[in-house]
Amino acid sequence: MDERVTATTQGRLSDATRHLAEHKLDGLIAASNGLNNFLESNAVFVLSGVRPIGESAVVLDRDGGATLIVTPAWDETRAAALSATERTIGTDDLAAALKSAVGSHRLDLSRTISAGLSMLGAALHDRIAAALGTLPVPADELARELARIRTPEELAAAERATWIAERGYERLLEYARPGIREYELAAELYCFTKKLGAEDNFLLMSASQHNLAVRAAGERILDVGDIILSEITPCYRGQFAQICRTTAIGEPRPVIAEKFAILQDAMGEGLVAGRAGATVADVTRAINGVIAKAGYGDYCRPPYMRVRGHGLGITSDRPGDIVDTNTCVLESGMVFVMHPNQYIPESGYLMCGEPVVIGPTGARALSARPAAFDVIAV
Amino acid sequence: MRTMQPCVTIGSYLWAQDRMPYDEFLLRLEPLHAAMDANNWPAVLAFGDVREHGGLAYLTNFIPRVRWGMALLPRTGEARLLCAMSTRDLPAMRTLTWIADVQSGMGPEWTKQFDPWFARFAGEQALRLGTVGFDIMAPALRQAVERSLGARFSLQRADDVVGLPSPRKRPRELTMLRASCKLLDAAVETMVQSWRANHAPEAAALEAERMARARAAQDVRTLISLDAGHTLVPFQGRFETCEGPLVAYIAVKLAGYWADMFVTVDDGTAQPAAVKAQAALDAAIASVRPGASRGEVHAKAAAALAPLKLHPALSGSVGHGIGLSLHEGPEFGATEAATLEDGGVYTVQVGAADDRAGHALLLAIVRCTAKGTEVLARSSSAVGG
Repeated sequence: MDERVTATTQGRLSDATRHLAEHKLDGLIAASNGLNNFLESNAVFVLSGVRPIGESAVVLDRDGGATLIVTPAWDETRAAALSATERTIGTDDLAAALKSAVGSHRLDLSRTISAGLSMLGAALHDRIAAALGTLPVPADELARELARIRTPEELAAAERATWIAERGYERLLEYARPGIREYELAAELYCFTKKLGAEDNFLLMSASQHNLAVRAAGERILDVGDIILSEITPCYRGQFAQICRTTAIGEPRPVIAEKFAILQDAMGEGLVAGRAGATVADVTRAINGVIAKAGYGDYCRPPYMRVRGHGLGITSDRPGDIVDTNTCVLESGMVFVMHPNQYIPESGYLMCGEPVVIGPTGARALSARPAAFDVIAV
Repeated sequence: MRTMQPCVTIGSYLWAQDRMPYDEFLLRLEPLHAAMDANNWPAVLAFGDVREHGGLAYLTNFIPRVRWGMALLPRTGEARLLCAMSTRDLPAMRTLTWIADVQSGMGPEWTKQFDPWFARFAGEQALRLGTVGFDIMAPALRQAVERSLGARFSLQRADDVVGLPSPRKRPRELTMLRASCKLLDAAVETMVQSWRANHAPEAAALEAERMARARAAQDVRTLISLDAGHTLVPFQGRFETCEGPLVAYIAVKLAGYWADMFVTVDDGTAQPAAVKAQAALDAAIASVRPGASRGEVHAKAAAALAPLKLHPALSGSVGHGIGLSLHEGPEFGATEAATLEDGGVYTVQVGAADDRAGHALLLAIVRCTAKGTEVLARSSSAVGG
């Protein structure tokens, strides 16, 4: 087992085993489609500590015995070195390997639950159903529920991911200049964060004289007067952390800084509202309240914004989207990104956001320097 | 090769109308229309996700950066594209495809997007719709689609009928593939030079990635070996140094089209495995011709490699199609009877892993024609330093 296989993953396996006992269940089949979506919980990572390349599964029995199955077969050596499970199997036929593992663990499928099987492609899903004869009862919320509170180790990884994001943004400030294309800047930023240890990065970065939204980098050539929007989201040891930033090339119109201050105020209110025991809806209302008070209440809905933040994978995307219909109660140790990103007619779309951890008296930003409206001198 | 899927693809995916004009898509739709006529499908639904989207991209130019996209392609009338993106993101999505009607496939009521579009087919009898790419669709999503269609329509798998993506590349596709191969060559050179400058394999691969992305690559995938070629691992951000040859894999996507390459570089004397792998690659390329079976290519490569065995990283395959997908099947497996096509573009890959002879992985991208095999890219020049 790799030295990086942590107490966290062992703890998650124990928690899942306890869940089986409490509900008089025989086993759990947790699957991943290998996509490592930054907005989702990857049940295989939660229970093994392995970011899978392809479709994969963890089979856990009532005694705590666990097997990781990965595809492709050649990835077995890497996976085995990283996995917290007692056994790792590499295969090119997940359905057949699952059938074999279910037999080895002597699972009664009528008393077995699953997480993530419904995210697999239909053809593979059908092959697994045929191989097993029946499918376990879905319990797709289990992994994200077990992992909803970051452990100290996970929080440290999220803080490291945030540190990488902030260094990435500093690199953007150094590298961005009139005359380069958006994709060139994105390339530099993306690879710079990988060099700092990010294993992945949900990076959106685009520029315009009047942005409608942030988007992925295109071929546009940066120019004086552009507002660069960046959503920098590195992943470090399975923890994504996101910062949202707004940057002007050359001296901007004063109205943009004035409108950006509204977002900063909204962020401040969100941090105060984001205490343990409050609901996600409370946080959303606090943020929207500031923006509405500034005269932009009509714009607190798509397409002028998307959400006021969201959970961050790949362990748990709890508490979900930061929207006013989400009644999820915040708990100390939950981590998500809070971002009052907003289209404002006079300025265009602006971005301001930090990864936060919930505490008893409010949310704490993981970033060292809160979002400011930065200017690249030309 | 399977590689770690990034959570988003960051390059520029704009519909480049100078390189892939609208008429190209009209030409691509003609065989689909013929299949629709033959099978009484008033429309075909083409699905793709962030990982696998060959058919969808071929027909629409749309490549999902995250989640999925689905084109509703009628035999007559206007097409619609649904993408799993917020309404906030739709203006940007509309720059990626020739389809003007792009709608959001997100939110609790997204399936209502089907109804107004399908109203044109209203009638007393249930109709059949063809589907492309639905094998990779998550069951929950498929159930949502079927619920929305209700009893008015049934779905019929069209993948085998329309055969997308085809190994035979159209002229404009071939232009894109050549450009990808050129960028790939430059990326490989960057990787090798970086490694020769005493950078760790992972650092060398990252330098190649940075160079390719800065030259408009839409995606770059790498695998490296930390044990002299015995096994391959995805990027881990650990930058460990190791002894022995550089053995790595890199794939580059430019304008939607992939090119990939194995790199085996030993600045000392080439190991026996590398020499054997060269011979096996030569034999495999020599056996490529229209009508040859994929199993036949496998047999030629395996015979030239003997007594060494095929490297486990190849999963028993010595090749596959390549284009809008990194892997276009079927694989060149030992028993695969499917034949190579005139005009088909294929990755041919060989390699050996042997404790005494060493480890090597080599690859070529070839275009199979009746006039002979054109090698678009090949890793041979890097072997032996």
